[in-house]
Amino acid sequence: MSLIDLMTMAKPNKELQMKILSLLWNVDPADCFQCMRCTSGCTSLKLLELKPHEVNLLVNAGFVEELVSSDIIWACASCLKCRERCPQKASPYNIIIALRNLAVERDAKIPEVYMKAVAQILEIGFTQKPQTVTSREMQPFNREKLGLPQIRYPDDKFKAIFMKILGG
Amino acid sequence: MKVAVYWGCKISTVQYAYEMSVRQVLPHFNIELVDLNEVSCCGGPVRSINTLAAMYLSARNLAVASMQSGADGLLVPCNECHFMLSETKYRMQNDEESQSKIEKMLNKEGLVYDSKIKIWHVVDLLHDVIKVDAIKAKVKRPFSGMKFVTHPGCQLIRPSEIGRVDNAEDPRKLDALVEALGAEILRYSENLDCCGAALLGSHRETALSLAGSKLKAVQSYDVDGFVDTCPYCHTMYDELQKEAATTVGGKFSLSVFYYTQLLGLALGIEHENLGLHLNKSLNIEKFTPE
Repeated sequence: MSLIDLMTMAKPNKELQMKILSLLWNVDPADCFQCMRCTSGCTSLKLLELKPHEVNLLVNAGFVEELVSSDIIWACASCLKCRERCPQKASPYNIIIALRNLAVERDAKIPEVYMKAVAQILEIGFTQKPQTVTSREMQPFNREKLGLPQIRYPDDKFKAIFMKILGG
Repeated sequence: MKVAVYWGCKISTVQYAYEMSVRQVLPHFNIELVDLNEVSCCGGPVRSINTLAAMYLSARNLAVASMQSGADGLLVPCNECHFMLSETKYRMQNDEESQSKIEKMLNKEGLVYDSKIKIWHVVDLLHDVIKVDAIKAKVKRPFSGMKFVTHPGCQLIRPSEIGRVDNAEDPRKLDALVEALGAEILRYSENLDCCGAALLGSHRETALSLAGSKLKAVQSYDVDGFVDTCPYCHTMYDELQKEAATTVGGKFSLSVFYYTQLLGLALGIEHENLGLHLNKSLNIEKFTPE
């Protein structure tokens, strides 16, 4: 079953469509003429059935709610081929990122890994703390043992500003 | 020449071999690296959550770099960070509304954004600034008779509208850099295939299959090694090589290097100083002199 089949009973939502357009810069999905050049080169087409031209089509038809609550917008591998190759500069990549932002805003179910990264950035400024790694011979190594300098993290002022932006 | 360096999360917290090899090789070409304090994540994973917050993170790192270093430019060795910082720089130049919003946020921390900041990756710094001939002249141990394939990585070469390091559909700079070390390059049809790393946290099997398919093809070409320049791609092809093999069937024994590790070996640098003991895939005996 393709993404389009899910839309049989759906009703267009103009308000959410406008919301997506407001999240985009320099990209207008209405410019898409469905040439499918994006889909023909999409990294996630074969394994995850992502068809970027369908995403553009559904945004243009106003089916934003359905996209925002669908897993398919999280299937993009961010390879940027569709953005590079779109003859109309209607980059599906940017539209998918806007849909993800809206999914977060509307408390839709999103992959845990993204929220974990944000939580870590709020705590230390990075997505993770320096890890102990092992060599091929299974010997443990950390930054100090490898002679790498210590990391100085950003202070609390940064965290407060970042938190405020996330809160809208 | 003084160059500030932004390592980003992945290199500075786990992919130490890249950091070690960059620190080792660049001084051989009169590049002095300046470390930055109190930088943060580039915004890569934040982009899917909140684009404005991601832009703020990128712009903040650029502002810190131009204020702290007094350098000629900023080196960003990670493909993902390089894309995020370049994308934000492009948007700050062309979107006044976002520019003034971001600048206000930065000012709260006493930071000032400088739109003139120059951003390099290892590939264009070596290829366009240092240049291939200068690298050739320094090679002490050429990889004569050896054949490699390269993996430039998606985010290093696309999207060309914002200015990327090499041609989006036919990148050749990394190949030229490997050839400068006396090795042969095999051009192959899977060169532009994505490593899948961006899906590792949410669609692990798919990510591993993407990496595995490419490795399977390369394995069949019978080359001596695989060269990359991104800590995410390297994780997929080096650290997770065995796991990737199980998703596509087959047994891989491909030696995967960061370009700066290969360059370091050619310059005669001791392999432990290049972090080569940390590569999971490597058959090091083949690449060091007896």
